[in-house]
Amino acid sequence: MANSEAVATPGVLLTADGTPLKVSLQKSLRRSKLRAMLLVLPPLLFLVFLFVLPIGNMLLRSIDDSLVNQVLPTTFKEFKAWDKTTDPPESLYAAFYTDITRTLEEDKLLVGKAGVRMNYDKPGWRSLIKISARKFKKVEGPPYKEAMIEIDKRWGEKEWWLSLGAMKDERTLGYFLNAVDKKYDFDKNIISVDENRKVYNLLWYRTLLVSFIVTIACLVLAYPVSYLLATLPMRFSNLLMICVLMPFWTSLLVRIVAWMIMLQQQGVVNDTLVGLGILDTENRLAMMYNFNGTVIVMTQILLPFMILPIYSVMKTIPPSFMRAAQNLGATPTLAFLRVYMPQTIPGVGAGCILVFIVAIGYYITPELVGGKDGRLIGNMVAYHMQRTLNWGLAAAMGTILLAAILILYWAYDKIVGVDNMKMG
Amino acid sequence: MQTVIKQTLLASALAAASVAVQADVNVVSWGGAYTASQQKAYADTWEGGKVNFVNYNGGLGEIRTQVESGTVTWDVVDVLPSEARVGCDEGLFEELDRSIFAPAPDGTPMDDDLMVPLPNDCVVPQIWWSYVPFYEEGTFSGDQPTTIADFFDIEKFPGKRGIHTWPNALIEMALVADGVAIADVYDVMSTEEGIDRAFATLDKIKDHSVFWSSGSKPLELVKSGEVAMSLAYNGRIGAAVLSEGEKFVTVWDGQVLEEEWLVLVKGAPNREEALDFLVHATATEQQAGQARHINYGPMRVSAFAVIEEGEPWFHNGKNIMEHMPNRPAVMERSVVANPEWWADYGDSVSERYTAWMGQ
Amino acid sequence: MPNEKPLVRFVDIQKSYDGDTLVVKNLNLDVAKGEFLTMLGPSGSGKTTCLMMLAGFEPATHGEIYLNDQGINKVAPHKRGIGMVFQNYALFPHMTVAENLAFPLWVRKMSKSEQDERVNKALAMVELSAFGNRRPAQLSGGQQQRVAVARSLVFDPDLVLMDEPLGALDKNLREQMQYEIKHIHENLGLTVVYVTHDQSEALTMSNRIAVFDDGIIQQCAPPEVLYEEPDNAFVANFIGENNRLLGDVVEDAGDSVKVKIDDDSGVVHANKINVEGVGSRTTLSLRPERVTVDPEPGSVPNIFAAHAKELIYLGDHIRTRFTVCGHDDFIVKIPNSAAHAQLEEGATVNIGWNVEDCRALDPSD
Repeated sequence: MANSEAVATPGVLLTADGTPLKVSLQKSLRRSKLRAMLLVLPPLLFLVFLFVLPIGNMLLRSIDDSLVNQVLPTTFKEFKAWDKTTDPPESLYAAFYTDITRTLEEDKLLVGKAGVRMNYDKPGWRSLIKISARKFKKVEGPPYKEAMIEIDKRWGEKEWWLSLGAMKDERTLGYFLNAVDKKYDFDKNIISVDENRKVYNLLWYRTLLVSFIVTIACLVLAYPVSYLLATLPMRFSNLLMICVLMPFWTSLLVRIVAWMIMLQQQGVVNDTLVGLGILDTENRLAMMYNFNGTVIVMTQILLPFMILPIYSVMKTIPPSFMRAAQNLGATPTLAFLRVYMPQTIPGVGAGCILVFIVAIGYYITPELVGGKDGRLIGNMVAYHMQRTLNWGLAAAMGTILLAAILILYWAYDKIVGVDNMKMG
Repeated sequence: MQTVIKQTLLASALAAASVAVQADVNVVSWGGAYTASQQKAYADTWEGGKVNFVNYNGGLGEIRTQVESGTVTWDVVDVLPSEARVGCDEGLFEELDRSIFAPAPDGTPMDDDLMVPLPNDCVVPQIWWSYVPFYEEGTFSGDQPTTIADFFDIEKFPGKRGIHTWPNALIEMALVADGVAIADVYDVMSTEEGIDRAFATLDKIKDHSVFWSSGSKPLELVKSGEVAMSLAYNGRIGAAVLSEGEKFVTVWDGQVLEEEWLVLVKGAPNREEALDFLVHATATEQQAGQARHINYGPMRVSAFAVIEEGEPWFHNGKNIMEHMPNRPAVMERSVVANPEWWADYGDSVSERYTAWMGQ
Repeated sequence: MPNEKPLVRFVDIQKSYDGDTLVVKNLNLDVAKGEFLTMLGPSGSGKTTCLMMLAGFEPATHGEIYLNDQGINKVAPHKRGIGMVFQNYALFPHMTVAENLAFPLWVRKMSKSEQDERVNKALAMVELSAFGNRRPAQLSGGQQQRVAVARSLVFDPDLVLMDEPLGALDKNLREQMQYEIKHIHENLGLTVVYVTHDQSEALTMSNRIAVFDDGIIQQCAPPEVLYEEPDNAFVANFIGENNRLLGDVVEDAGDSVKVKIDDDSGVVHANKINVEGVGSRTTLSLRPERVTVDPEPGSVPNIFAAHAKELIYLGDHIRTRFTVCGHDDFIVKIPNSAAHAQLEEGATVNIGWNVEDCRALDPSD
């Protein structure tokens, strides 16, 4: 802009045919801009349909509670009027009866769906709603309280009515609370779930721990391998590269089974150790179907994700840097630490972030080799997606994972950026 | 350029059309020997069209995705008891006209020809299967395990135990092992104290447990000596004994029987053919026929009579009745799983079980 | 200026990478204190290998290298205290210019204030005082080059090695840097071992030039000697422009010979330098500027008829290609004076030269 104005001040520049230069320039650029737009369009659409929309949908589902509010609008209105200390009033029973019978006429399925949803908050709602829906037809007018208690004695217990309190709003943070072992009470106060049902915090912690250990283990293993890859003569490094990439070409399941054969208690490693007399047969190491198994197998599977970025950075570091550092008086160790390693930081950072992000969402490997204490949060997401159909909870956990990754990425950008400015 | 695009579109349209023509009915099941038995007993004997079997790992996630997005490609699905109920409640399955299904040879309508009441109008009968303990001959010297209590008794029968990574059947077994009468199991389970009691029994084997999550695993675990005893799907043990001559011994005590149903997905693309297939597959003759290939018990009671008369019924000339999980001889000491209870309390018990496993 | 006592001595050095071929064949070379010695040669001639052996990055297969009379074969590179400027400068990209310069001082555990002082002095020397906080990537090629030189000098080494340090610069900058490096060398009294394949660079800067070919030093001498009095055909050909005539010695007069040119087109009277007696093959070497066009008959012993094939006007002289004695690539540089202005392509003229200017050397081919 500044340039064109500067040009414009002594008098508008014109092209040969008299149009202003600026107009002419824009016209000539329009075609190429249009073409660029057309090229960008397919990936853009791809991105929108396969990333933006599903992720948006996931975010919405994680806070959406409209279904149950659509089924029980008057019930929730009456619920708000109830003082919660006395027994539920007849008006609440009547409202519930009206809501259910009305919904049954409009869309029978909504009742079933609402029951499944309500069951997440208090186990038993599903069958209670189902039984009631079937028998409400026979109820003859008010009073509804006695009739409903007749149908199922649970209607006489206050706790069922109180549990409605956690569902009474169209938007809820309940799924997020569930994902960290908390829940709403009837007044929407946040409380902890029972001690023996606390699952998720432990899994979050374990997921972070496993991802962290796997990342570090990958780094420790990958760094020397990458160095060899980058410095060996071509014919050796090609062979080594094939070895590194071999796991990529092998089916995930085959690799996992191979590890099972190696590491289980009657497996190759234990048999060898016992055979050599290093271990008693009673003290065979538990390296499979637990935390160790998950860490070992995930490290092997994710190793290439660490090696490749580090290798690609090391490949660009000429050997003359190490020579220069030694020539200037640094011992080989010091030269490596002060001159070589700092230059590999971008590769190390990229590798770590890649491995960590992949590890944090892993679930197939932990499912197969994790046994009792090697399963991760990803397994719970899959479980709620496929088994319980509690997609709200799955979405909430997915959202937390996504947030964790974004925070991590931001931190990486921040830290490595700062490092680049000060390193040395 | 445009010609290329047109040709590509045309080609993909033709490809899509030919797929639709090829597969008359898409039946989704669990794969392996089980799908093979369905293929032989139902699909090969059906003259109404071709059947295209698809494998899945259970759960309603995929079905819900198909129904909610309006792009249903599955017709018939083989489902577990909880899914049979939740899926029907959620409207993922079609409610079926019961009058089109064939009665038993003696005239009993199909819905009355079952061991349990029909849970809803979405489902039609398939098989019974069970979680049951087993070990390999020669594992224990002296007394052999004969009761479910023995499975939870590490002192009497030392060695590791293989158990699965979800709570179904384990809660029931733990309570029966702890002395709860089989008839009272679900009443006890419906109280917080009952669940506590079950977990207290599970605690006894926890430190000696290897957890499995895929059906082939327990056989490998027992065969390799990794565990002394394991729970497994009865069909897997039977197949190893009947077809591969393995020396596995099943402890027919305290097993937990589970239903398996067939359902029609709502909005199924080949609805008419699929209905015809379901009528064929649920007939007594086909139900009995399946037992020629696998030792899961037919859900229709009338099929049992056919099998018993036809012994040796298994395709390789062996007797099959003694491997049937729901044969009368073992029913007295079997828990018939209550899917209604599991549909209500399954999530909550699962959470507790997961927490218990990880602690 | 070169001192009597050598600072560096290569004694019987041999080097092989693969055990089959020698890259350096029996090298003996002394470098005097304060000398600027250039190793010049085509690529693959062994010059860079010699430099790497001196720096300690390649072990000698045989022989010993002495620095200040100390054998250094077993001394690790970081203990040799030799400064070095690398071909691509090898400035550490993650450090600022000042940090790069401070690095050798930091590893020598100098105090911070002394580090700063020396860094500032070094930066001032290469006129980059304002650039201490920049990163190498933010500097131009010439500036990076100066930083590399400054870094190699900042810890006061006696000896500085330079491995084609100007190769990446454009022509003007290269010439300017040649003078700068030369001045630094003179001002600081350094000993420099310089590797290049650019002969004009070598001629400009060096006290002595060691011409390498095929793992052997062909000749080691000051620039003017190398140009005026090459010992053999390779050096004659490699340094400066050169006309070659091949023939057989027919008469040996002690310090001069008569040589019959191969196609019987004449006999040349030449200076006997590096040739056996009568009957042996020889290469005659003659600089283009030592040939006279249209000489007075009798003024020079060698006069031949030449056919002008091509004239290129180059301002101060006209470069002319003649056919002489059957060779059609005989170059003569004719000074741009009125006397020779009439020469045209296709014309036939006489050319001639002195015995002293025509050197009879070894038969290279």
